[in-house]
Amino acid sequence: MMQANATQRIMKAFIAYVLPPAVALTVALLLWEIWVSWRDVSIIVVPPPSAVIERFFEEPAFFWREGGYTLYEATLGLLAGSAFAIALAVLMAHSRLAERTLFPLAIVIKVTPLVAVAPVLVILLGFGTAPKIIVAALLSFFPTLVNAMTGLRDVNPGALQFLRSLHASPWQVFWKLRVPSATPYLFAALKVTYPLALIGAVVAEWFTGDRGLGLVIFVANSNLDTPTLFAAVGVLAITGITINVILSLLERRLLFWHQSTRSVQ
Amino acid sequence: MRLVRSRTTQASVWRTLAPLAALLAALAFLAACSGDDDKSQPTSPTAVPLEHVTFMAGFKPQANLPFVGAYIAQEKGFFAVENLDVDIQHVTTPGDNFKFLATGEVQFSTADAASLLEKRSGDPPLDLVSIALIGQRGQQGFAVPANSGITSPRDWAGKTAGYKGAQVTPDYLAILAAAGVDRSSVEEVKVGFEPQILTEGKVDIFPVFVSNEPDTLRRLGYETRVFEAADYGAPTLGLTYVTTGDFLRQKPDVVRRFLNAVLRGISYADAYHAEAIDIVLKYAPMEQREHQLYMLETELEAAKAGQAEASGFGRQTREQWQKLYDFLTQYSALPGPIADISTVFTKQFLGE
Amino acid sequence: MASSQYHVSLRDLSHVFTDGRQPLRALAAVSLDMPPGQFTSVIGPSGCGKSTLLRITAGLLRPSGGQALIHGRPPQQAQRARDIGFVFQDPALLPWRTVLGNVRLPLEIDSLHRSRPLPDTEELLHIVGLADFRGYYPHQLSGGMQQRAAIARALCFNPSLLLMDEPFGALDEITRSAMRYELLRLWEAQAPSATLAPSGRKTVLFVTHSIAEAITLSDRVIVLSRRPGSLRADIEVELPRPRTQEIERSQPFLDYADHLRDLLTEVPL
Repeated sequence: MMQANATQRIMKAFIAYVLPPAVALTVALLLWEIWVSWRDVSIIVVPPPSAVIERFFEEPAFFWREGGYTLYEATLGLLAGSAFAIALAVLMAHSRLAERTLFPLAIVIKVTPLVAVAPVLVILLGFGTAPKIIVAALLSFFPTLVNAMTGLRDVNPGALQFLRSLHASPWQVFWKLRVPSATPYLFAALKVTYPLALIGAVVAEWFTGDRGLGLVIFVANSNLDTPTLFAAVGVLAITGITINVILSLLERRLLFWHQSTRSVQ
Repeated sequence: MRLVRSRTTQASVWRTLAPLAALLAALAFLAACSGDDDKSQPTSPTAVPLEHVTFMAGFKPQANLPFVGAYIAQEKGFFAVENLDVDIQHVTTPGDNFKFLATGEVQFSTADAASLLEKRSGDPPLDLVSIALIGQRGQQGFAVPANSGITSPRDWAGKTAGYKGAQVTPDYLAILAAAGVDRSSVEEVKVGFEPQILTEGKVDIFPVFVSNEPDTLRRLGYETRVFEAADYGAPTLGLTYVTTGDFLRQKPDVVRRFLNAVLRGISYADAYHAEAIDIVLKYAPMEQREHQLYMLETELEAAKAGQAEASGFGRQTREQWQKLYDFLTQYSALPGPIADISTVFTKQFLGE
Repeated sequence: MASSQYHVSLRDLSHVFTDGRQPLRALAAVSLDMPPGQFTSVIGPSGCGKSTLLRITAGLLRPSGGQALIHGRPPQQAQRARDIGFVFQDPALLPWRTVLGNVRLPLEIDSLHRSRPLPDTEELLHIVGLADFRGYYPHQLSGGMQQRAAIARALCFNPSLLLMDEPFGALDEITRSAMRYELLRLWEAQAPSATLAPSGRKTVLFVTHSIAEAITLSDRVIVLSRRPGSLRADIEVELPRPRTQEIERSQPFLDYADHLRDLLTEVPL
């Protein structure tokens, strides 16, 4: 009886969460396939999904391996950028002077285009993994900073007053009130910055290419090998979606108490 | 250091010590001269010191002939035999290799001959010297679809030609001039690097590297016809190995050893195409074998054009450089003059 | 009279808020002495400075005029000694903590709480009726239950002064009435109980909008005028304890209610 319930639950979850997007995706791919053949689109301009899927399954291990490299670089960059942003946010949340001084610099980082930064980093840091991690870190930095700052400040004023009435030290207020208050914001930032970090790693790989999906895309592009190019992009997309799903699940578990994770009543 | 034999009783002691002292002094001199080379290993008194250099290819890893020479020299031990420890790099942003040469982080690189003249005549002029001219013909070509009905440059009139970069190249203008086509009769459009622009009919004439895009397109079912300026009398030249004038003056022996090794690599590639491509694919694992083979074979042909077959790979003459210089000047493609063309290249390491 | 006899002494307290576009006079010369163990309500029209008065008493705000004293010393000292319990209209529980975690929060803040005897947290939860909900999270509780948790939280470290700022203001009428008597039960039961206040009843300063609430709960009702709030009336509520629902229908109760209503609706001076 218990087993039947578990199976039922998985079936229900599948129908609710996996089936709709899968159906939508299949329809989209079918339309794409039809369009390519109906309009006689050249394969070196846009490949039909069938060619892309075929190319992927010729060498799935290759694509996953290169995807793994890119994910590794993106993750390290994300951790570095987020850590730096959070540290800065803590500083700025406690000092308006620090905020006035540092925030404009943060905006400079935000608006600098990636493709201008990446080659300079390569010149400064040489080849290898470092420039890719830095690019990913730079992209993760600003959204995390803004969200962390807002989160650290967006505390329940009643709770803050209560702690103050107990003569709680700023340190206590920070750990017991500000940090937990900020976690929904940090999760929101993470959902934005992880894909950005992936993109950053890919773009950086165009400039330093020794491995990774960015290199696959770069080489495939120069060889007009669109099926490989699109397959690489597809792997990136799947990676991004999977990360998002994992983050959402994590969020639901850790932030059960926050209204954002509970459906509208 | 000349040794002076003492006539005193200490002569025999001095006689034993002097060669050692001389060698130590020579080593100290070399160490002092090697500048930022901080990776020198301690050597035994009788070996030639291992020299660490960096070679930066001027593009991504692929079967361009100067790159192939370096790859093979590395893999077959030709560098090792010359006591060279070579770090092979590839430029990320085209043009950055010149920056690295200037700062001394890179000792050897590649450059298109016309590009070299451009950098030498710029403001400020870069201190670059060609130590070998691998491509005896220029790399550029202009592709038209095979079924377009354009069979000669005369047919370019009334068509659309694409150009990459800031403006059309001297090669293009030379072809028009040779065919007697009025430039205003051709619509010139700035394009990107995607050959799809040609296959989708956005332009009729598209600039390509003769060893590259035509083959890629053919494999995808698009036959093209390629026009090269050299076929219309233009004195175009291809890729060179370059170093800085400074490095040349400081360490000519290292330059000689490097060039020996890479030219040997090119000769080896000429003899063993398949193995050469195996080696290229080690550096460019995601490239396609057949296409790389085509690139190698096309560039080998260009490397033997003219009299190079007789003189060996890398041959360069004053006449070749002067003609190229005059050609580029004629089409205002150089930012400034070069007083003495012989400073642009050196033949001292090329066997004749 | 020596100020140290009183638990709380407000002397000529006034406050002006200067952070807005125009200075806002919130309080104007309020004086009040509260002996220990007294339950005092403060009632007045909206914006009359009731909350400001409470915050100054808690040491959260420095008054621009006059002074507040707790046991003869500035409120910051009582704050440092963790001798003030504060309950707001918003229960302000930490949503990521269980009821038990929230109630115990002050004990984590004040690691020196050994200095005075503490109520047993389990019994405290039982007394406020949340013993079965100790593992629940705030979002799973009703407004009334959250407020009970907030009250338990304010009591768990045994402060001798309780400040309450319209704690039942967000609740519906029925719950509000029930909570009123719950609070009374908690407070009135203190004298002999070793659990809540071995040293005697807590001094309470209670801000409210509701006349009935003020009369039911308090020994004394302070009426503030319209902004800037000044002392309009100081009324002793001589109704017997323990207070019951019957008392609310008694004549003295209704007389007090009438009197307060008149005071509140009269055109201010």
